Amino acid sequence: MSPIDKKRQADFQVIAQWVEPGERVLDLGCGRGVLLEYLKQKKSIYGVGVDIDFDKILSCVKRSVPAYQGDARTILATFPDGAFDRVIFSRTVEQLDDAGTILAEGLRVGKKVTVGFINKGFWVNRLCTLFKGRRVINEVYPKPWYETQPTNSFSVNEFEEYCNARKLVIENRAFLAGDWRSECSVFPNLLAGYAIYDLSSID
Amino acid sequence: MNDSEQAPIIPEEGEVGFVEYQDFVSKEPFKFVSGGKLPELTLRYETYGHLNAAKDNAILICHALSGDHHCAGVHGIEERKQGWWNFMVGPGKPIDTTRHFVICSNVLGGCQGSTGPGSINPQTGKAYKLDFPKLTVQDMVKAQSLLIDDFGIDRLHAVIGGSMGGMQTLQWAIDFPERLGRYIALASGARHTAQAIAFNDTGRQAIISDPAWKQGDYDPECGPDQGLAVARMMAHITYLSDVGMESKFGRKRRSGDESKEHFDVEFEVESYLRYQGASFVSRFDANTYLYLTKALDRFDLHSPESLDATLSAVTSPGLVIGFTSDWLYPPHGNREVVEALLRLGKDATYAELAMDFGHDSFLVRAPKLYELIHRFLTR
Repeated sequence: MSPIDKKRQADFQVIAQWVEPGERVLDLGCGRGVLLEYLKQKKSIYGVGVDIDFDKILSCVKRSVPAYQGDARTILATFPDGAFDRVIFSRTVEQLDDAGTILAEGLRVGKKVTVGFINKGFWVNRLCTLFKGRRVINEVYPKPWYETQPTNSFSVNEFEEYCNARKLVIENRAFLAGDWRSECSVFPNLLAGYAIYDLSSID
Repeated sequence: MNDSEQAPIIPEEGEVGFVEYQDFVSKEPFKFVSGGKLPELTLRYETYGHLNAAKDNAILICHALSGDHHCAGVHGIEERKQGWWNFMVGPGKPIDTTRHFVICSNVLGGCQGSTGPGSINPQTGKAYKLDFPKLTVQDMVKAQSLLIDDFGIDRLHAVIGGSMGGMQTLQWAIDFPERLGRYIALASGARHTAQAIAFNDTGRQAIISDPAWKQGDYDPECGPDQGLAVARMMAHITYLSDVGMESKFGRKRRSGDESKEHFDVEFEVESYLRYQGASFVSRFDANTYLYLTKALDRFDLHSPESLDATLSAVTSPGLVIGFTSDWLYPPHGNREVVEALLRLGKDATYAELAMDFGHDSFLVRAPKLYELIHRFLTR
């Protein structure tokens, strides 16, 4: 596995700890279905992946992961309340149009919502902006602005503000340091490279 | 980020080559959903590859409205055209005849060798014509299951089909869940849209209003050729897309004498459709066309209760494929089937291909379609 793949799978172990055996899991922005395949092996889940890209669905087919090619909002609307135990957004929220509404839909369809995201407040990002006046280019953000999708990145504090404003219960939170492997236990808004949250609604 | 994965190694391709059809005859009376009966039944079919000793390597292919049992290879050296899905079926192809025993039968109600309205009723010595019972997709599938029984096959490796074949495939998954390992439905859906029914009925009216139709009681040698040709021309438009037609024909003109009749063929597209109409008449029976299109219009997985209730019987993993330019069986109609299956907690996948060939995209060789089917059948 390449270092980039390793990084991409940073949240797998944390999510696998939170998932109960046999859960019904919907993974929005499932990519090649690697997380669902992993959870199927570790926790015998029933998982469904959703991705907009045909090639990703093709990879899911190869992994025997049920997958739906389409838009997260469209598929969420077709499910009744509580259809899944968990809806996962692993590095997906940043790409969504009107993320708040879709997260709320996720909480309608899933009893829990798991969100994994790159922390915009990570000190390297701050220093780069402060001293170089430009965005970072590294393994995590490998491409210049003109070769990437619009990304709506946010920090740990901004995410917690959203949860408080919407009165969401934070069931679990985990922070990974800049290497995306070791745990980060203090000042996550500054020191965490990656954050993972488990949310539920109050009712 | 580079998300590409190494392409699977697809073995070198071969051809099934020369093929022959067979006839399966069931002497038992066959009962239709409508209550109608046939005293006996014939299904014409072709097979490719070999049935293994365990009889668990068979794939059933279901054909579309105007298709038939001849989906791969050629019947003789003089035959120019290969079977309708030749690019998909053969040694090393996605439906790999070195691994699988492939069966394709002409549908019940058809006119290419299986019992249909044009067949002779052994009890009267005359053709059934409109005495042929009211036909449904369920009846087609039930008849196919008799052929599968005859091979001694308990469980098919897969059932696969596009368009009307896709509907049969879904019906297989519902009616015989324990008899198939997986299924692939292409360019299909849970039911016809109002628009699809409207096009079908306009085609039927073209046939019925042709004086040669004679309430279905025509001589096979001089049937309602005009009506059938017009029905086919119109249906053919619904199988294509505006983009596809534009790039194939545009406003290209036939080179011709300008002084000719006002309404002679002037544009390429007219010539193409007239040719399609005329060639269809030579191989298709008008009454079969009426019966099959009606069976498709009646097909409705939302009935009797709901789509979810109907699909709750499904147990095997399924793949549903929609095509972006298909406006006859549009992507949302394909998607709806998978949405219901996923609501029910089934193993189902929806994939959508961006192709310009309209409804007929599933009949066009495209690397992505090729790879998708290959992967699903070998996973």
